Amino acid sequence: MNTAMNSHQAHFIAHAATLPGHDSALIHASRQAAMQRFMGMGFPTRKLERWKHTSTRVIAQTVYRHVNPGCVGLDPADLDPHLIARQGIHRLVFINGLFVNSLSDMSALPGGVQAGSLARVVNESPGVVAGCIETFPTGDDQGFSELNHALWPDGAFVHVSTGTRLTQPLHLLFITTASREPMITQPWNVLIFGSDTHALVVEHYVTLGHTTHHLTNPYTSLILDDRAHVHHLLLLGERLPANHVGTVQVTQKAGSHLGSHLFANGGERTRQEVHVTLAGAEAECALDGLFFASGRQHMDFQTSMHHACGHTRSRQLYKGILDEQSRGVFNGVIRVPPGVHHTQSRQTTANLLLSDTAEIDARPQLEIHSDAVQCSHGATVGSLDPDALFYLQSRGLDVNAARALLIHGFAEELLQRVAPAEVRGWVGRSLNPGEGVRDEDRPGIV
Amino acid sequence: MNILEVRDLHVSVMHKPVLRGVDLVLHGGGIHAIMGPNGSGKSTLAHVLAGRDDAQVTAGTMLYQGMDVLAMTPEIRAGAGMFLAFQNPVEIPGVSNVRLLKEASNAHRRYLQLPEMDAMTFRSQLQDRARRLGLADDWLLRAVNVGFSGGEKKRNELLQMLVLEPHLAILDEIDSGLDIDALTTVAEGINSLRDAQRAMLLITHYPRLLDLVVPDKVHVLIGGRIVLTGGPELAGQLEARGYGWLAEEHS
Ligand SMILES: Nc1ncnc2c1ncn2[C@@H]1O[C@H](COP(=O)(O)OP(=O)(O)OP(=O)(O)O)[C@@H](O)[C@H]1O
Ligand SMILES: [Mg+2]
Repeated sequence: MNTAMNSHQAHFIAHAATLPGHDSALIHASRQAAMQRFMGMGFPTRKLERWKHTSTRVIAQTVYRHVNPGCVGLDPADLDPHLIARQGIHRLVFINGLFVNSLSDMSALPGGVQAGSLARVVNESPGVVAGCIETFPTGDDQGFSELNHALWPDGAFVHVSTGTRLTQPLHLLFITTASREPMITQPWNVLIFGSDTHALVVEHYVTLGHTTHHLTNPYTSLILDDRAHVHHLLLLGERLPANHVGTVQVTQKAGSHLGSHLFANGGERTRQEVHVTLAGAEAECALDGLFFASGRQHMDFQTSMHHACGHTRSRQLYKGILDEQSRGVFNGVIRVPPGVHHTQSRQTTANLLLSDTAEIDARPQLEIHSDAVQCSHGATVGSLDPDALFYLQSRGLDVNAARALLIHGFAEELLQRVAPAEVRGWVGRSLNPGEGVRDEDRPGIV
Repeated sequence: MNILEVRDLHVSVMHKPVLRGVDLVLHGGGIHAIMGPNGSGKSTLAHVLAGRDDAQVTAGTMLYQGMDVLAMTPEIRAGAGMFLAFQNPVEIPGVSNVRLLKEASNAHRRYLQLPEMDAMTFRSQLQDRARRLGLADDWLLRAVNVGFSGGEKKRNELLQMLVLEPHLAILDEIDSGLDIDALTTVAEGINSLRDAQRAMLLITHYPRLLDLVVPDKVHVLIGGRIVLTGGPELAGQLEARGYGWLAEEHS
């Protein structure tokens, strides 16, 4: 056990009595158990199969400061570059993991939708998260999610009740502000969609100002009840010294549909897990991911698709664009247990290497224990097509413009799946390096 | 001034000599055709004019409007008014025709130090030209050449040419894969651009195109050399006799 782990435990001991839900036996027990498991397993190491490409050494040796309510001196105009320009958007803003009411806008939320601070909801009625606690993944590689379960100080709570259609996007904006010492933020987001609901939720991570190394360790629980139809956008756009280790856990009931769209271009080290359990017949899930890494960025994406029920369908498409000395990992597991029949699953990963020194490890992992299934997978790695580059140059585009257009073309397939158009355009612009300042020498995605 | 002047051009591809002393002079208003057997170096000539870097010029000169072509990058050649319609147009997933045409046209206007065209004018001109070529309205939103039939790809090349209005158009087998009606449409498109300031080089295997776009000269390229030059009637003679007799004379 090291000083860094001890510091997390010390924080837990010192604050257990004040953390959200401290009055509730359920929450307290959940935190306590998670802390114990975390102390038992520690941070994952590269000896673990699903962590073999990503080192947690720096994180495991850093003593982080927990939660800094750092919105002092924050000008609401600082948020502007990160906002979606569309009338009627609902917005929850979190600074360093804590909900900030004054920056949020829920004035147009329709009846039947509850959205706000998880801390507040749990203090009032802890029972609402019981279902989510049951779905926490277990395993000796879950050190980061255990740490979140033990220590989360706040996060988003969204509840869309049966039959409600949320016609406007709900933007959950998580901002890390400048800090001098390493800081950790650990929101837990609970998003519950009742039967026959429709919604688009954008979960979005950014940095304001210059920070030192900091760690964002969010955990998001998504529950889709029967026939819920949800799109979840996850945008990872933190600045360079950031480390981001996130987990999304999805449970889908019968006839529900989830479109999960991940877009990542930020952070020094990014690790995102997306776990989906298809728990009811005719549940359908599409997991998409697009990541863009350059410099010495390291990005590691792990998906697991668990067909717990027959007559379920899943499809995955992850695309990586890697430049300079960046490193990417995609590892997707499809799991069909014995006795589960008539499932369809497809997994594709395509990667574009823009330099000789960029690297990608992309592989599917199939754990299919049933015969009556359809399953396909494929992985490709390539570089920009010289014939296409020449074709564009022969039409008058200079090399940089030609490269940028080809990269845009590669990314477009995933951007096209995002609707409405304002959100799509906004995602495209957010992905461009330099945050709006067009750097002609570096390829942008759009 | 000549639009194109090629002198004693030698080109190797992968260290293999492909063009072995080509001379070619095109005046304003001139249309020349190049015919010749498969593998004789026609596309290589087209590529080297457009600036493809896997073809190495080992000797000779190329001047476009008096400028040394070899000193120009492919995009500068395009900006200066050279255009190649590819024998095998490349598929570009995720990039729409309208996007490519807009970027190409803007690059061209920047080269000429003209302001960018406003989006509305550009679109309406484009739609107009696309309709003239018999292209459906959703054409412009489709990804460049992706899933296009052979003939559709050729019509798309022609559309690009009509938008960019080049001064030297090199059309590498623009007629192959076209149905009879499409051939007529394409020929009309080519003829519409014909004027005293422009020149064209038509690479083809079939005299039919040359009946519709009548060239001043027909060259026969065999083994990397122009072995015979004649008037438009030469195309028909070649159709009747093949290349064998010429190949024997020049082997
Ligand atoms: N990238 C390459 N690598 C190797 N050889 C090549 C390459 N490109 C062209 N060649 C060779 O150069 C020669 C000339 O090819 P080119 O494409 O210019 O012929 P062509 O006259 O256009 O033929 P076609 O009528 O079939 O289009 C051929 O022998 C071809 O195999
Ligand atoms: Mg050819």
